[in-house]
Amino acid sequence: MNATADNILTIDAIEVVYDNVIAALHDVSLVVPRGKIVALLGGNGAGKSTTLKSVSTMLGSERGKVTQGTITYDGTAVRDQTPSDMVGLGMVQVLEGRRCFGHLTVEENIIAGAFSRKLSKGDMHAELDRIYGYFKRLKDRRKSQAGYTSGGEQQMTAVARAMMAKPKMLLLDEPSMGLAPQLVAEIFNIVQELNQQEGVSILLAEQNTNVALRNADYGYIIESGHAVMEGNARDLLEDDKIKEFYLGISKEGRKNFRDVLRKESETHADLHHH
Amino acid sequence: MPIWGWPMTEILFFFEVVLAGLLAGTMYSLVALGFVLIYKASATFNFAQGAMVFFAVLSFVGFMELGLPFVLAFLVTILLMIAVGYATERLVIEPLTGQSEDTMLMATIGLAFVLQGLAQAVWGVEVRRLDLGIPDFPIPWLADNLGIFVSALDVTAGVVAGVLIIVLSLLFRFTKMGLGLRAVADDPGAAASIGIPLKNIMLLVWSTAGIVALVTGMMWGARAGVQFALVDLALKALPVLIIGGFSSIPGAIVGGLIIGVVEKTLEVYVGPYFGGGIEGWAPYVLAILFLLWRPEGLFGEKIIRRV
Repeated sequence: MNATADNILTIDAIEVVYDNVIAALHDVSLVVPRGKIVALLGGNGAGKSTTLKSVSTMLGSERGKVTQGTITYDGTAVRDQTPSDMVGLGMVQVLEGRRCFGHLTVEENIIAGAFSRKLSKGDMHAELDRIYGYFKRLKDRRKSQAGYTSGGEQQMTAVARAMMAKPKMLLLDEPSMGLAPQLVAEIFNIVQELNQQEGVSILLAEQNTNVALRNADYGYIIESGHAVMEGNARDLLEDDKIKEFYLGISKEGRKNFRDVLRKESETHADLHHH
Repeated sequence: MPIWGWPMTEILFFFEVVLAGLLAGTMYSLVALGFVLIYKASATFNFAQGAMVFFAVLSFVGFMELGLPFVLAFLVTILLMIAVGYATERLVIEPLTGQSEDTMLMATIGLAFVLQGLAQAVWGVEVRRLDLGIPDFPIPWLADNLGIFVSALDVTAGVVAGVLIIVLSLLFRFTKMGLGLRAVADDPGAAASIGIPLKNIMLLVWSTAGIVALVTGMMWGARAGVQFALVDLALKALPVLIIGGFSSIPGAIVGGLIIGVVEKTLEVYVGPYFGGGIEGWAPYVLAILFLLWRPEGLFGEKIIRRV
């Protein structure tokens, strides 16, 4: 990617080790240009979540550590910061699996997202209105206990909550996970709106390659902790290898879809379920 | 004037027993509240809560003996408990973040022994008297006009516990730090991801638990003397929590009141058939029944799980 561009995030050849022994990332480099959406693609266990957590410094609580390479966010070297330091710098991660505060209401969840900011009551109302403008569905559900709302509503709550911190950059981990295609489309529409209207840069980890590339500007593919491929999102969507391996479309059409599905169910057999 | 064959004096006596139970119950509520605070924030059953009660009130009495006036001794002890909370958070809880609940429980058991030992090493082992200036005698007005005999100390303890509980509940419900605390209680990882500083919240929780421990210790100490037995008394919070729910502040309050009333009425009306002394174990029997009937407690947050 263009090295002279104004990049909000630069990851340079990082290695990540869990529990001092298990290497999760070997050599991952990527950049996110300011104001763009970058997709990080790859299968389960490829290292997508680990990459995002290295950036947000959420690795620490999971006994993981960046052992080599550098991460630079908005001119600041990311080293010993805490997650709340990073939020203070304008970077918020939306964790995999939504992770709403189940016993709090939807609105309390969203308000909690502004914890790092000092807002007067009036400012808080204005901010809530601004956020509900994007997440109209949540306004009707704002008094509901978040744990009892639908998966799509929880994903929206999680993104809305992150937006309340007024981030310059969002890290989204698998926002499509477990959601019906219609809802996935709705959520990605909102993500696009946030990107365009709020100017927030986005690094998006996804297994849903098709949806991710349709909504991103640029994409990286990682496999077993190595970055193996990158390119403009549109080029990647048209790339034969990607079509075959990640989208399940060969030149003859979607004939091998079933094979890919079978392959997928094999690789997913060791998935842990919550 | 008998009612349903009960003479009036018996009815008044029954009210006295229930009232005494409610007042004793507020004390259980108070100590249970200390447990709930820490359980909510760190999913840890803080075995050291009883030791904190003992440590706090023994230090308070110690400062008084050194010549500090009541209010100053109270404030100094509060600062001390905040320091203890801070040290606990930094030296015990933080290094163990991410470990299993069993590990955390073992750590708090260790903490309990450290606090007990430290308190006794500094202040000595003899039983102290704590005089709050409130008589442990029936309130004359109630006794003369209604024929109900309740101790002024019990009433004071009940009121203090009630006010403290109400204030804390309001703080959790309506303040920013309260929201932060509830968020951390729900999902510490998610709370960290949106910039809620876990360390500050934990510090707040341990300090609050320390202050609650001090108030609890003062009320109990005034009644029974400041002594090591306070540590065991605090474990009465266990049946309270099983009945009320480990994660619920209203649960701690109602659970404490239930335990107080049940143990007092059973002691008076059923106790004689067992040769007395059943208030020591009756709450645990009740707790076991609750475990069979409603393991999450009356007010415990059900685990919300969508599949």
